[in-house]
Amino acid sequence: MGRYLMQRLGAAVTTMAAASVIIFFFIHLIPGDPLYVLLGDGSTPEQAEALRAKMGLDRPIYVQYVTWLTNVLAGDFGQSIFFQAPVLEVIADGAETSILLASITAVWVILLGVPIGMVSAVRHGSWLDQGLSGTAMLLASIPTFWVGLYLILVFAAWLGWLPSSGYPSIFEDGGLANLRHLLLPSIALAAPNAALILRLTRASMLDVAREDFVRTARAKGLPGWRIVVHHIFRNAVLTVISAFGFTFAALISEAVVTETVFALPGIGRLVVQSILRRDFPVIQGVILITVALYLVINLLVDLTYRWLDARVELE
Amino acid sequence: MTARLKTLLEPFLARRIALFGLIVVGVMIFAAIFAPLIAPYDPLAIDSLARLSPPTAEHWFGTDHFGRDTLSRVIHGSRLALIIGVGVVSFALLTGVPAGVASAMFPRVGAVVMRGVDVLMAFPALLLALGLIVILGQSVANAIVAIGVVYLTTTARIAYGVCLRLKAEAYVMAARSLGVGTLQTVLRHILPNMISPLLVQASFVFAFAQLGAASLDFLGLGAPPETPSWGNMLAESRIYITRAPWLLFFPGAMIILTAFSLNLVGDALRDRLDPRYRAVLGASRKN
Amino acid sequence: MNDFRSWIRRGFVAAVAVAGVSAQAAAEGTLNYATIGEPPSLDVQVGTASIASTISQHMFETLYAFDSSYEPQPLLAASEQVEDDGRTLVISLRTGVPFHNGQEMTAEDVVASLQRWAEHGSRGKLLFKEGAMVEATGSHEVTLTLPEPNGAWKNLLAFPNGGPVIYPASAVGAAGAEPLAVEQYIGTGPYKFNEWRPNRYVELVRFDDYAAVDAATDGYAGARVAELDALRFIPVADVGTRVAGLQAGDYDYAEFIPGDLFDSLDGDSNVVIHRNGAPIFGLVFFNSKAGILKENRQLRQAIQVALNKEEALRISIGPESLWDANGSFYPKSSVWYSDAGVSAFSEGNPEKAKQMAEEAGYDGTPIKLLVSTNYQFHYDQATVFTRQLAEAGINVQLIVVDWATLLKKRGEEGEWDMFFTHHGTVPDPVLITVLNDSYPGWWTTAESQEIKAALTGTADVEARRVAWADLQQLIYEQVPAIKTGDVYSYHIASPDLKNIGDSTVIWPHFWGVSK
Repeated sequence: MGRYLMQRLGAAVTTMAAASVIIFFFIHLIPGDPLYVLLGDGSTPEQAEALRAKMGLDRPIYVQYVTWLTNVLAGDFGQSIFFQAPVLEVIADGAETSILLASITAVWVILLGVPIGMVSAVRHGSWLDQGLSGTAMLLASIPTFWVGLYLILVFAAWLGWLPSSGYPSIFEDGGLANLRHLLLPSIALAAPNAALILRLTRASMLDVAREDFVRTARAKGLPGWRIVVHHIFRNAVLTVISAFGFTFAALISEAVVTETVFALPGIGRLVVQSILRRDFPVIQGVILITVALYLVINLLVDLTYRWLDARVELE
Repeated sequence: MTARLKTLLEPFLARRIALFGLIVVGVMIFAAIFAPLIAPYDPLAIDSLARLSPPTAEHWFGTDHFGRDTLSRVIHGSRLALIIGVGVVSFALLTGVPAGVASAMFPRVGAVVMRGVDVLMAFPALLLALGLIVILGQSVANAIVAIGVVYLTTTARIAYGVCLRLKAEAYVMAARSLGVGTLQTVLRHILPNMISPLLVQASFVFAFAQLGAASLDFLGLGAPPETPSWGNMLAESRIYITRAPWLLFFPGAMIILTAFSLNLVGDALRDRLDPRYRAVLGASRKN
Repeated sequence: MNDFRSWIRRGFVAAVAVAGVSAQAAAEGTLNYATIGEPPSLDVQVGTASIASTISQHMFETLYAFDSSYEPQPLLAASEQVEDDGRTLVISLRTGVPFHNGQEMTAEDVVASLQRWAEHGSRGKLLFKEGAMVEATGSHEVTLTLPEPNGAWKNLLAFPNGGPVIYPASAVGAAGAEPLAVEQYIGTGPYKFNEWRPNRYVELVRFDDYAAVDAATDGYAGARVAELDALRFIPVADVGTRVAGLQAGDYDYAEFIPGDLFDSLDGDSNVVIHRNGAPIFGLVFFNSKAGILKENRQLRQAIQVALNKEEALRISIGPESLWDANGSFYPKSSVWYSDAGVSAFSEGNPEKAKQMAEEAGYDGTPIKLLVSTNYQFHYDQATVFTRQLAEAGINVQLIVVDWATLLKKRGEEGEWDMFFTHHGTVPDPVLITVLNDSYPGWWTTAESQEIKAALTGTADVEARRVAWADLQQLIYEQVPAIKTGDVYSYHIASPDLKNIGDSTVIWPHFWGVSK
């Protein structure tokens, strides 16, 4: 286990190093100038150049990279060009929204995806199964922003039940009641991902059901539900856990669009806005942290997997 | 020939809903090819007096804020959907398959290439595509590349996995021990056996490419905004969601229908697939 | 590492503090203003974004301020003396005006601020040309010495957008070209800076020691009384969200609402429409330095003739009460209004244009029009123009980029033939970017230089008005840029806001407003 862990950590560090190079150099290939965005339409070229020199943005790119990397390793992600504030502070401000949105979405995904997937598998081949699988397939084919817009139309504009957008922190006026701001976005975001988990649960349960030890249990005359719970479900959980790694990546991707539709002050929208503003330090910071999170989560998923099922061979 | 056609269609004849998917895809291809003949209006024709019209006898799907006919734009949009789908699939296959096969055949290459794939996969897909499009500039071709890169990674992984399994099969080992060259082995034994799993992957990639392209369009960074793509139509009309909700309905429905149909097709194909490859496919999906 | 610790600590302290008071309702006196997006730096000396001006005018003040008829009136200045035919300007300052940090404003602060603006400010060079200087000639008196008289001097000192707002000398000393850090947001205004939380809000709070001018409030001039406890500017990029949020009472004020929502909002009792007092207008610049339009004046005129701007305005804006197909660079109510040249404003004659283009030797080469989608009406109008020009056989290639790319690309002369931007109504024509030699487009013909000199070289109002009319005429002949028509943007307010008036001067302001 220890050796395996070291191996995986080593791989993660290499990936991070490679990612940091890609992030930094590719981001600086983006055309457009952050200083003009900062200074506005009426600014003069001389003004921009003076500012560029002052901010150290006129130094050779590799020098900027080394400076950046050294600082990042010391925990300093630099200053946002646009906000004139530390990048970490800017990101931390968006983290609450994004983390809560992802968590609520994950709850929906598990609550809906796993049980319905099980029902579908138990009744597999029936009309119910076909209906549920078909619906799941349909949900997985809907753009989240499209659902989001119509959710806003119906539940916010027409019925007035839920807020259309924005998210005040739960530490501000309203407290936990502010979470209702995240209800519609999390539903929009959960739809395709729940569908994915549903299909995975169903598929893996069916695969397990064909395996020998289940057949043996059945032959021994154990009741159907006991087989489902004890043998099949336990094994299906493994699949679902392993699916979480890439569901997380999908969540981040789709959150970019969802946060834009619902005007949420999260990290997804921050990164899109920062790309449009050419706020390079913020883009670099967000992507670097996301990549790191992705690697950590995938590592955790693998370790959990291994812990839950010693039979699983790990490379 | 008919026998061959029958084997191809078999998965669809057995499952009605998959047949439905296949028909929708067929209709879409037809609409894309003959768009100028079917569409009642020029999709770019502006009419300042017929702005934001609801569905009427003249304009079945209504008009947008330029007074352009939504039905005609939806029909023309299927062209772009087809171009994006075919483009992304081709890009993913043409880059991913060689990378995956080479990695499987030459472990040293694999150590580098598959590591590179791992790095790319660590980036959230949409952010990767967004970044690429901002760097490359906004055009249909660049949108294809940006989305294609995302599916390059999954395709390479699948090709790698399938190829490794094939390499271990008795007949491939036998051929290699008889001194058949690597290129020969790949061309004669490996690639033909990869066609089915890749076909499945291709239909899923086609489906997800639609959603990816729509997201990029929606953020204003996909196909150039003057192109009548479904995603652009949604992006342009979103501020009219309360005033003219029907404007967003039709292009959205087309995206869903296309992605849904291709998912159905892919699903039907996958169920017919050798279970050995199914595991490889399942582990490599990403959207 | 320090950074890391400090934000954790700050976040923790904030969380505890806020959690403690979260039981209290929002302060009665907080105004929530939904903006179109996050402002860039609020240091308006160096930046010209409208949103930055809207926010910062509550914190930072200028020596003069415009009244409701756009006449500059003393604000931080008390009086002035013009000597030497307008080459020497002696301005005495009001005494007892405190900055938000408690220090009293003196001549030293004003000199430091004006010097920085002269060197690094967006519009500083318009007043401080080569050889101009400013010095303190008393504890509360500054003297500006100009090489040539400048008829626009008071307007330039009164215009806060990219303008000479007064900071303490200590704040500007370190800044130079760089926008001020948020800790340096110190001014003399009725509200002071409190907090900027990226993506959430910028908050200003009332400055209790504010020293108001002893004059009635009139436009931006006169007394500025802060009635509200705090102003919160919240970025809400999505229009639908701004509207729904205001209707639901989440916001008290929401800016820049699209024309197509006007009719439905006009009848809504939960909403008060607050129209902009001054229009903005689209401007399509032509490249005078490179490319196919560089010297081909006839082709430029052909393009001008082909355009039907009324159609473009109707499509891009909607209700007729929100736009005006006005060819003059100033609205009728302005002292600068002139109808010189405007008959060429919107001919919309494709046949004539086609013929003119042929005579100009146009061979169908694509003309590159640079436009961004960040401003919907830019893109909508450009789309309409492209169609209209196609009818006249003029082949326009739209290059659609985002705003950041456009700002960069337009500086590269080989990249474009035309680009789309917009312009606000400015109190003095010298501020119009078409007249700026270094602004992309680079209109520096001999005729234009001559009239521009006449416009600035005198303080005589009547002579300046004539010069401006001549310039407008010349703009329609030489076509350095095309004005696309006046657009009256509007904002929406909650009916609870009192004393807000019917329209804005230029940027919405909230002194005197209560709720």
